[in-house]
Parts: sequence; structure tokens; C-alpha cells
Amino acid sequence: MKLNRRIEHCASTEKLCQIRAEVRQACQQMHFCQEDINLITLAIDEACTNIIRYAYSGDESGRLIVSIFHNESDAIFHLQDFAKCISPSCLEVRKKNLTEPGGLGLQLIHQVMDQVQLLPPSSSIGNILELKKHLPLL
Amino acid sequence: MIYQQTTYLHYQCLQLNGEVDLHNSPQVRKQLLAILKKGDSVLVDFSTLSYIDSSGIATLVEAFNIAKNKQLTLTIVAASGGPLQVLELTNLDKVFPMVANLTDVKE
Repeated sequence: MKLNRRIEHCASTEKLCQIRAEVRQACQQMHFCQEDINLITLAIDEACTNIIRYAYSGDESGRLIVSIFHNESDAIFHLQDFAKCISPSCLEVRKKNLTEPGGLGLQLIHQVMDQVQLLPPSSSIGNILELKKHLPLL
Repeated sequence: MIYQQTTYLHYQCLQLNGEVDLHNSPQVRKQLLAILKKGDSVLVDFSTLSYIDSSGIATLVEAFNIAKNKQLTLTIVAASGGPLQVLELTNLDKVFPMVANLTDVKE
């Protein structure tokens, strides 16, 4: 697994725009089409938003790291925070009426990405969310 | 500015600019709700919008539901690219009234 890019910021909504710009660049370098770049960027942005909103509850002193890797078949995105560990059940999508509020971001992440999972925590603090998307066939 | 507001026919037109995300969607929400509170139907112009996340979409859904309850309308104008993909992904392109251009809006 080769590291393409590591993006580290404080967990502030002001940084979301910069994170999206870097994710777009990384996706272009992995030869995704524009439609896929739009959707992958959305999924990563939604995951970062959830970290800012729920893991850190708006505490901007928290750190947020997005590491982008690839192997022969997949683009792999690791989103790391240093907040309280969450349960994998937090990633389950409940079927919902889209005109009702709540949970839309998580649903979009699952729709866009091929694999969504929490990696086993390496310490008692923090979470690493792994998102995978198949690389385009060249 | 994340939006510009103008009047078009008998609608208030809110043109969204650039990227709408968790950082600025509360501004959009506040303005949309203010328009609806005054009793005006609203056009949300996507022509200069390059990105919208779920917080922006949730804002539109909330405003759409309020508009419907008040027998007003909320119409999306000129959605394309990434923002249109998000509407399609959520099937909201089948929920919101949508037109391709401002000139397609009926009086």
C-alpha cells in the first residue's frame, strides 16, 4: 500500500474546503473520472464533517488526519481522529425517508464508497475510518 | 458571499455561490427560512454552485417542507455537475421541482 498524500488539519469547518481541494487533486492523480472525483470528495467531506460534528462535538482543537493510499486495485482513505472511540454500530445506515432530517451524510458515504469500515484502534484514544474505492480500469 | 438574493417575477431568488458545506450552510438556512417566513416562494439558483454537502441538502429539504406547509414553492434552478449528482444520488431530483434555467420559471 503506497501513501499518496497526508492531510492534517485542526477539526474546524473552515478547513473542509482545503481538505476537499487536496482530495480532488489526489483523485485526479489516481485517474478517476470527474464524476467519481465529485462523489469521492463528497464522501470524504461527509466523513470529516461527522468527525468535526460528532467525534469532537465542535471542539476545534482536535486533530483530523486524512491519509490517502493506493494499492493495485483500490484507492484507500484513512480518516483519523483522536476523540473517544466509537462503536462500529455508529456506521450502520438506517433506512430512512430522505425528506426527514439526520443521517444523510453517512448514507452518502456508503452509497459512494465500495467499502466502509472502522479499523481496530491502535490505542485507547481515537478512531480510524477506512474508506475504499475501486481504482478506475485504465 | 455564499449567496446573492434578487427578485425574479414574484419569487425571491437565492443564488448560491461556490461551495456550500457545514461551514456556511447555516447562513443559507437562515436566509431561506427568512424568505419563507415573509411568505415568498423561492428559487434556489445553482448556476454558480460547484459543491454542496449533506448539510446544504438538509437545509434545502427543511426549507422545501416549510414551503409546502405554507403552500409556497421552492424550486431548484440550473443544477449541474457535482450538485446535480448529489441530488440524483439522494433521489431528491424527483422531490424538488427543478428547472434548467431561470427563463423556464413560470410566473
